[in-house]
Amino acid sequence: MGKIIAVHSYKGGTGKTLLSINLAAALAKHGKNVCLFDLDFRAPSLSTLLRVEKAEHYLNDYLNNTSDISKVLIDISDRVGNSSKFFVALANPGTEAIRDMSGKDRKWEMRALGRLLALRTSLMDGQGFDYLIFDTSPGLQYSSINAVVSADLVLVATTFDRSDVDGTRRMLRELYDLFEKKTEVVLNKVLDVSSKTSKDDIQTKLKDIYQVPLLGIVPCFCDILKAQGGTIFVQEKPDHPFTRILNDMVNNISSFP
Amino acid sequence: MATPEALGRKPLQVLEKIRENLERLNEKIEVMIELQKHGKKDMLPPMADAPLDVMTLLSMPDHLRKTAMTLCRMGRATADEISGQTKRARAVESAYLNQLVIMGYLKKERTGRKAYFYVERENQGGQ
Repeated sequence: MGKIIAVHSYKGGTGKTLLSINLAAALAKHGKNVCLFDLDFRAPSLSTLLRVEKAEHYLNDYLNNTSDISKVLIDISDRVGNSSKFFVALANPGTEAIRDMSGKDRKWEMRALGRLLALRTSLMDGQGFDYLIFDTSPGLQYSSINAVVSADLVLVATTFDRSDVDGTRRMLRELYDLFEKKTEVVLNKVLDVSSKTSKDDIQTKLKDIYQVPLLGIVPCFCDILKAQGGTIFVQEKPDHPFTRILNDMVNNISSFP
Repeated sequence: MATPEALGRKPLQVLEKIRENLERLNEKIEVMIELQKHGKKDMLPPMADAPLDVMTLLSMPDHLRKTAMTLCRMGRATADEISGQTKRARAVESAYLNQLVIMGYLKKERTGRKAYFYVERENQGGQ
C-alpha cells in the first residue's frame, strides 16, 4: 500500500529538498510510482534543482482550484531510467505568486488541506501512484502543517545544530504528537560517523532526545556540497555512500505497514 | 373509503417519526453527557461556518481533534464509520461529531435514518 510522506524540519538548511528529491528518485528506482511535490511556496526550488522548464500550471493553481492536478504534474520518468512513473508538481517561483501564497486566509488554508487530502484518491487510487512526497517549508508554516496533516509518515530532517535540536524536539511534542503522526528522524550533515561506535552513540543520543525512531544518519559529504544541488545523486552516483544510505531508507519505508 | 394499506401506513409513518425524534433527542443527550464529562471549556463559542483549518485542529482538545481529523481524512462519514477508524464507541463519536456541528466546524445531513457529517470547504469564501 502506498503512502504520503511529508519531509519537514524545524529550521531551514537541514537538507529537506535534497532528501526529498533523492528519496523520490530512489523509490522510483525501486520500481515505485512516485510524485514529488514542492510545497515550499515561500522559496520554491524544485524547478531549478530538477532543471524543469517553466511549467504551464503550478501546484498553486491546483490549491487555488483553478487547475486540475493532471495539468500540474510534469513527467520526469526519464531521469530514473526504468519503467516507474516519476512525476513532479512545482510551486510557482514567481515573486507575485510567492506574495499571493503568503497572504492566504484560514478558509483558503482549510480548502487547501481538503485538496491535499484529495490527492490520495485522485493520484494514488486513481492513477496508480505508490508514493507522494511533499517537500515542505521549514517551521510552522500553514502549508507545511497542511502537508503534515495529510501525510501518513513524516520525515523530520534535522542536524546537531543546538537551536535545531531544541526546535525539533518542541515540534515533535507540540505538533506531530497532537496529530498522532508516524514520525521518523533523519539526521543530516553529521561530521563523525566513521566508526560503528560513533554511529551507535549518535543513535542512542538521538533516541533519548527525540523519543522517535531514527530512519537514517547522513554524513556531511563534500561531493554533495560540490554538486550544488544540481544532481540526483541516487541516479547519477549509484555507488556513492549517500545512495546506499538512501536505499536503506527506502527499504525501511517500504517495510512500514 | 380508505384502503387497509393506507390505514396501515399512517401508524407506520407516525412510528418512524417518533423513532427519528427519539434519535435526535438521543444525540442531544449524548452531547450533554460528553460535555458533562469533559467540561464546558471544550465547547468553544459557536460560530457559523467556522473554518476547520490546521490551526483550529491544533487548538482543539485531544478527544475532539481525533474525531475532526478522522472526518477530514474521510471527507464525509457517519458516526459509525468514524467509530470504525478511531476504535471508540459509536455513541461517543456521535456526541463529538454533534459538538463539532454545534461549534460550526462540521455540517450534518440526514439521508433516511443515517446522519452524515462533513466539512464544508468549497462553498466557503476566503482567498
